[in-house]
Amino acid sequence: MMPQMKTETNIKLPFSFILYGLVALVLSQVILFISNDALVAGQFRIPDIWMGAHFLLLGWAVMIVMGAMYQLVPVAFLTPIWNETFGFIQFGVTAVGITAFSILLGFKPDSAIYGGMLAILGVLMFLFQMLKTILSQQTKNTMTYFVVGALVSFFITIGFGFLLAWNLAYGGIASHNTILYSHIVMGVAGWFTLLIFGFSYKLVPMFSLSHGFSMKFAKPAFFSYIAGLLVLISGFWLVASFIQTIGWLVLLVGFSLFVLDIKEILTKRLKKKLDKPFTFALLAIANGLVIHVLAFLLSLFNNANAKLWSWLIFLYVMTWIIFSILGYLNKIVPFLWWTHKYSDKVGKTKVPMLKEMINEKLSVTIFVLFVISVVGLTIGALAEVALLVMLFQALLTIASIAYVISIVRILFM
Amino acid sequence: MSLETKVGAALFEVIDPELGINIMDLGLVYDIQADEDKNVTITMTLTTPGCPLHDSITSGAKYQIMQHVEDVGEVKIDLVWEPAWTPNKMSERAREMLLY
Repeated sequence: MMPQMKTETNIKLPFSFILYGLVALVLSQVILFISNDALVAGQFRIPDIWMGAHFLLLGWAVMIVMGAMYQLVPVAFLTPIWNETFGFIQFGVTAVGITAFSILLGFKPDSAIYGGMLAILGVLMFLFQMLKTILSQQTKNTMTYFVVGALVSFFITIGFGFLLAWNLAYGGIASHNTILYSHIVMGVAGWFTLLIFGFSYKLVPMFSLSHGFSMKFAKPAFFSYIAGLLVLISGFWLVASFIQTIGWLVLLVGFSLFVLDIKEILTKRLKKKLDKPFTFALLAIANGLVIHVLAFLLSLFNNANAKLWSWLIFLYVMTWIIFSILGYLNKIVPFLWWTHKYSDKVGKTKVPMLKEMINEKLSVTIFVLFVISVVGLTIGALAEVALLVMLFQALLTIASIAYVISIVRILFM
Repeated sequence: MSLETKVGAALFEVIDPELGINIMDLGLVYDIQADEDKNVTITMTLTTPGCPLHDSITSGAKYQIMQHVEDVGEVKIDLVWEPAWTPNKMSERAREMLLY
């Protein structure tokens, strides 16, 4: 018999991150809406867009992921969080750091490094917390590799990010663009993608009640994705487009292997009718695959159109990373809240089913709004139709607000 | 009716909140043992190791037995991962419920 361990985290810890993330999501979309003229012009490298992008990626995505990890790591690794008090301090430091950093990027970029240093401290504290937690895991599994790979990528990302912020403040570091490309690749593909891969290997079978699958491509997917990242970044530094193309190809191979495993897991599922938020997270996987194919093809045909690549990165961030998070969070929050509110009432009084805590119709409407606005925004921007960009960014902002309301609504059940 | 049968009947009322199916039909309960002093030991599992609902399901099972089975002594729940749960342990009713 396996010893029973108390692995649940104090609910206030993940919720601190999640609530901050929800506010940052709305804020990021409002900022991007105000800056919609820059989006039309394909001007992503201006202070307003930096501010919106960092509220989106750091404030929303990173903070949500951190909160989710405080909840999921104990569940997936069967080991409690190393130090919860340290977690609350880490939340405070990171929240202040990310807020200051994002605002300074928008209003005083040459001082952004000060906010950035605080944000980096928060991230380092998080990495330390996770390292201590994972080290205490008794039996390492496939997920461990993905999560450790993601954490290492995150560490490298903030290293590159620090160099970029330093350059904005003091200058003097050559290869600013190469550092920027490496920062983006390690951040969005290394950190987020490896993490979503890892947790999907636990969550997809759990939410679909799948059994008897092999996960035979997990290790090849992990090693090829890591290899792809290294080759691609080497291609940037060596300014060799053919190396970059090989990098994109190897990344595509890694992503495809992951998709094959997920396909097998879903084929062997017992739960035939999947929850809508979970289905949305699965849709994000298909999006990720399509974007990897497009990136490889663009690179293969030597397309260096900066605007096209900028929007491809946007689509990767929105339709793969953000959609995954939106879908999974809509499953994780009801779990967290149900456990907190009803866990000790099972068998004593009538308690709601987890499914009853999610308004599926509302979720579907919101997810459709997200898809329409991202597609419309991309088409509008690539065709340079200002009105379309403004309308669809407004729709995206409305979808974000509706999503936040739908999540907060769960907390009143 | 034996004490084990009564306990088994009570456990049909403990529902997995994610799947909406009781733990007996899901085949999560491996064994029910009662000793001479009417102390009961339940050996059970969950569909996946690390399931975040393990505390609520096991405490729910304990409470159901204490409240709804007469003359029961101590109730002990042994949560085991070996043998691992497989779909073969589910009842036909549970299988049908998962289709919809």
